[in-house]
This record gives sequence, structure tokens and C-alpha cells, in this order.
Amino acid sequence: MRDLKVSFATRQGELRAVDGLSFDVGPKEVLGIVGESGSGKSVAMYSILGLVRDSNVKISGSVKFAGREILGLSDRELQGIRGGDVGMIFQDPMTALTPVYTVGWQIAEQIRAHSDVSKQQAKSRAIELLGEVGIPDPATRVNHYPHEFSGGMRQRVVIAMALSCNPKLLIADEPTTALDVTTQAQILDLMEKLQDVHQSSIVIITHDMGVIAQMADRVVVMYAGRPAEIGREIDVVRHPRHPYTWGLLGAVPRVDSKNRRLVTIPGTSVSPLNVPEGCAFAPRCEYRMAICEERPMLHGDDGHLDACWLDDEQRVQIRSTVSSSGDHS
Amino acid sequence: MSGDVLLRATDVVKSFTSRGKKLGARSVATAVNGVSLEVRRGETLGIVGESGCGKSTLARCLVQLLPVTSGTVEFHGVTLTGLSRRQLRPYRREMQLVFQDPYASLNPRRTVADIVADPMRINKVGTEDEILDRVRELFVTVGLDPASWRRYPHEFSGGQRQRIGIARSLSLNPSLVVADEPVSALDVSVQAQVLNLMADLQEKFDLTYLFIAHDLGVVRHVSDRVGVMYLGEIVELGDAEDLYETPHHPYTEALLSVVPELNDTDAPRRERIIISGDVPDPSDRPTGCSFHPRCPAATEVCRTVKPEFVELRPGRFVACHHPRNFN
Repeated sequence: MRDLKVSFATRQGELRAVDGLSFDVGPKEVLGIVGESGSGKSVAMYSILGLVRDSNVKISGSVKFAGREILGLSDRELQGIRGGDVGMIFQDPMTALTPVYTVGWQIAEQIRAHSDVSKQQAKSRAIELLGEVGIPDPATRVNHYPHEFSGGMRQRVVIAMALSCNPKLLIADEPTTALDVTTQAQILDLMEKLQDVHQSSIVIITHDMGVIAQMADRVVVMYAGRPAEIGREIDVVRHPRHPYTWGLLGAVPRVDSKNRRLVTIPGTSVSPLNVPEGCAFAPRCEYRMAICEERPMLHGDDGHLDACWLDDEQRVQIRSTVSSSGDHS
Repeated sequence: MSGDVLLRATDVVKSFTSRGKKLGARSVATAVNGVSLEVRRGETLGIVGESGCGKSTLARCLVQLLPVTSGTVEFHGVTLTGLSRRQLRPYRREMQLVFQDPYASLNPRRTVADIVADPMRINKVGTEDEILDRVRELFVTVGLDPASWRRYPHEFSGGQRQRIGIARSLSLNPSLVVADEPVSALDVSVQAQVLNLMADLQEKFDLTYLFIAHDLGVVRHVSDRVGVMYLGEIVELGDAEDLYETPHHPYTEALLSVVPELNDTDAPRRERIIISGDVPDPSDRPTGCSFHPRCPAATEVCRTVKPEFVELRPGRFVACHHPRNFN
């Protein structure tokens, strides 16, 4: 993905949902996109697949999938990609499935849309898939309707559907946000196992840094439609470079450590209707400087990039004062 | 923290009757199944559990928004269960709620000043002018711009709305605030603001909190003591720090082991214990221990005998035949 921009023309002016996003996803790689609501993380992935259907939308940039430019493809061409080479897992499994058909019918339909097999073959493949995602007694369950499944089981059905055409890339949008923590553990575990077997790449979109830590190889931190920081998961979590990432990591109450005062980011996210021309985070940033009026570009080395004007020396100084005041226990 | 008990629940049961699956059949879902607990003055008692475990129903029973099926609730030593609405009134002022959804819990057709003022008007605590002065004071207290008092809820962000809900809950100077998932609808940076605010208010006004949430990190962060609920029962209760470090109930142990944590230290991580299956239907409870069908340590006795909720060691209560991490 290179310099993806997605904007909507609204009565209040241009709403810039995604404003210059670039990243690569390698084969078999798990990339996490993390950000708060409205940061543009979902819109970015939906728009490249032609799932943002709005006459006022403007999409620019370049997105190459397996070497082929997919931005600007016709709906028909995109249909071949969606559900075929690219599978999707949505946040809410109840809305991702239609309530009026059996789950077997829905999986079989997707298989038949992408490959030339008989109804019988598609159905037996559906049973196989349900078994693979850990649904007990798949031969019976294949004839059940979505409402007969629990939340976790429904998400398994959605995963089975996404896997039905052996996708090269799986896009998972908040796949466990609607689930309880024990069910979330089951689903994340399943996704890890399936990735091992199918060797597909995954882009996982989430607001939960914990999920990123468990699943992702690399991570993109988004703020106001722009990438704030990109890097290997372990680098970003242990040596975060952007003040927004510092805030995001410090604000999470921990299960594994003692009470401390949470780090807060003052104010609320900027409206995508008027993102500052300079650094988008500057209005909320404690360390803002005069130069922040200019937009910082992503820079860095060894694959760890950040969009911030602070230099390494300033960072070290800030971080040492923060940690001595008891931020990290 | 002083030891005196503000609220005491003894063997509280709440069941709901509904039409069963078959024609004419009735089914009884027991959402809260015999909960006993104490909330001490000045502390934060956290209740954590997954969806459907009965934590919200329990909260509503404790503050008498729902009549209990059986059991008693005492507040300041007075038994509330069985009192009439009129008799309850003076106690209601003392117990206020903060709700989960800041969109659904504020009337969209009233200004935020009215929303915060209403409890005071209903309880006739002063003249209209005095009440409005107090509203502005409360706005400052919770970090809202007092100049925005004539606006409507939709003009505020989620975090600001939750501040309005908190201002409303404080308007009558309650001693107990029951917060039911107060931050689960908020983004993490806003969540941190609201949690810090609640901590400040507790100190400032000497509040006692009953804090209900599904997020284990949030509950540990705010609580002095924590109760873990499963299928309408408190299966484990104890000092927060101690309970998180040394869980005794296999459910607590599994729950804590699977929370995705930041990968920011080399410290060894807990071994992940993934429990299979789903929470059973509360109208069709398992025999014996409620958790036995999913429990990795279950034995024959768990299938037949319901474990007592006992004090395993000082301050640590657990309902399990085979407590973990205990010799």
C-alpha cells in the first residue's frame, strides 16, 4: 500500500478518513493496525476492497496485491478478489452472517462463487471447514442457522467462511472485540493455529494492544487517518517512539502489575473534518514544538518508523523523566 | 480503609421466569444464585465476570432497582429488602448508579443541566437557584466546562457524557456509587481519563465504589477487593493484589491467564489456560459445581456436590473443591 488517501465530501467540507497510509504485508506475515475509534483503521482496509460504497468518496494512492494494482478495479473484478484471495473476518459475527440461511448454505455459496464445484462438493467442503475451526459435530451443525450458535461459535463460522477459498490474505477487523475474554482466547488461539496450517498473511485491525502483542509480527499505530508509528511489534511496544504511542500504551490498565496512575492523553481525537496541516497529534501533545506546525513524514531505520519531530536525544530525555516518576512499575 | 460494612448482601437470589421452549412450559433462569458479600466503607469492591454472569443483575438487586427473589440486602445496618418504595426513598439518595452506555443513559431531550439537576429537584434539596449553582459546581468537579450546561447530550463526546453521568450520580452526595461497566464503551485514552477522575472523586468525597466490569485490567486497577462471578455466583473473592497474583479458583486462574498482555518485558508469562465450551444456560444449571463442565481440574465430587463458599485463608474466599495454588 502506498500513500492511500480516502476522503469523503460532506456538507461540512472534506472529511479525510485516511490521509497518506503506506505499508507492506509480507507473505505469512501478521500485521496489526491499532488505533482508537475514528482513526481510519477500518476504512483503510475496507476501501481498498471496494467495500466503501459512497458516491462522495475519493480514494487515491496505490495498492498492489500480489503484484497487481487493485485500486480502481471494477466491482466485478474486485468480487473475484473478495472472498477468494482475500478473506474477511468482521467484528460482529451476527451481522456478517445472514439469519435466514443455514451456515452451511452460506459457506457453500461462497465456495461456489469462487470455484467450479457442485453443490454436493461445496457442502462437504463446508462440513470439513466447520470441523477445522473446531465446531463439534459439523455434519449436523452445517444445517443450523446462525442464531442457533453462541457468539464464539458464530465467529468460528465466519472464520470458516473466510478460509473457504484458501485466501492469501486474511483481513480481520476487531475479530474478538465482541467476545468475552475466554472466548477471545479460543478464537485467537484458533487463528494462530490456522495461520500455521494455511500460511496466509493476516492484517488484524484492533484497538487492543494486548491482541496485537499476542498476534502481530509488525504493527501500524494510526492516529487521525495517518500512521504515527510503524515497526516490529516488539520494537514498538518496548521502545515506542511517538508520543501518541506512549499515551496509548500507558493508558492501558494492566492485569500483571500494581496500581499506578494511568497515563492520559488530554482532550479527544481531532475531528477528521479538520485535521491540522501539521502533525495531527500536536494539539494533544505535551512535547509539541514550533516545528510541529509542519507535517512530519514517516522516517526511521531498521523498519521502525515514526512520524514525529522529536529526535532521539529528546526522546531519551523525556522517557527517563517519565519512568522515574513511576510510569512503569 | 476502615473495616465497617456499608452494604451487606446475604444469600441474594434473583430468578426470572419466562415461557419455556415448549408450549405451556415455564423456565426459571437464576441470574443471581445465592450471593453473599460485604462492601466496606471507603473501599472499591470490583465485580468481574463475563457477559451473562449476572453481575449487572446483582448490582440492580443491591441498590433495590430489582426486587430480590430471596435473601437480604442491608445498608448502614438497615435491611432494605422488603421495604416499600416510600420507605426506600431516604436510602436511594445514598446509593447512586453510573451506567455503561453514556448514549442510552442520558435523556436526549433534556439539557445536561436538567439531567444533573433532576435528582436534586426530585428530592427537593434546595431552591432552583441553589440547585443550578450546584450543577455548575459539579460540572467543574468532573472536568466539564460549566458554560456548556445548556447543551444537549448529543453535543458531547462519549467520555464527556460519562462525566455527565458521574456528575448526576454525585448530585445527592451519595455514600455508595455503583458503577456498571462505566468505561467499557470508551476508547482507551478516554477510559484512562474517566478512571483517573473516578479515583480523584473517591478520595475527595470519601466515596465507596461497587465497580462492575468485564475487563480484568480495569478491575485490578481500580479495586481494593475483587469478586469473580461465574453463572450467577461469586466463585472467588479477596484482596485484589493477592487474588490476581495467586488465583485459587480454576476459573479465575484461566481467566487471568488468557488476557492478552503487552509484550513489554522479558518477565515469564503465565501459561495460557484455554477453557473450552461456553457458559451454560442459567435456566439449566449444571449439577454440583457450576463450573465443572468446563473445568480442567474437575473430578467426580465436582459433578455431584456444590462447593461451599469458604474462607480458604484470611480474607480469601473461594467456592471450589480443589483450590489451585494452595497446599
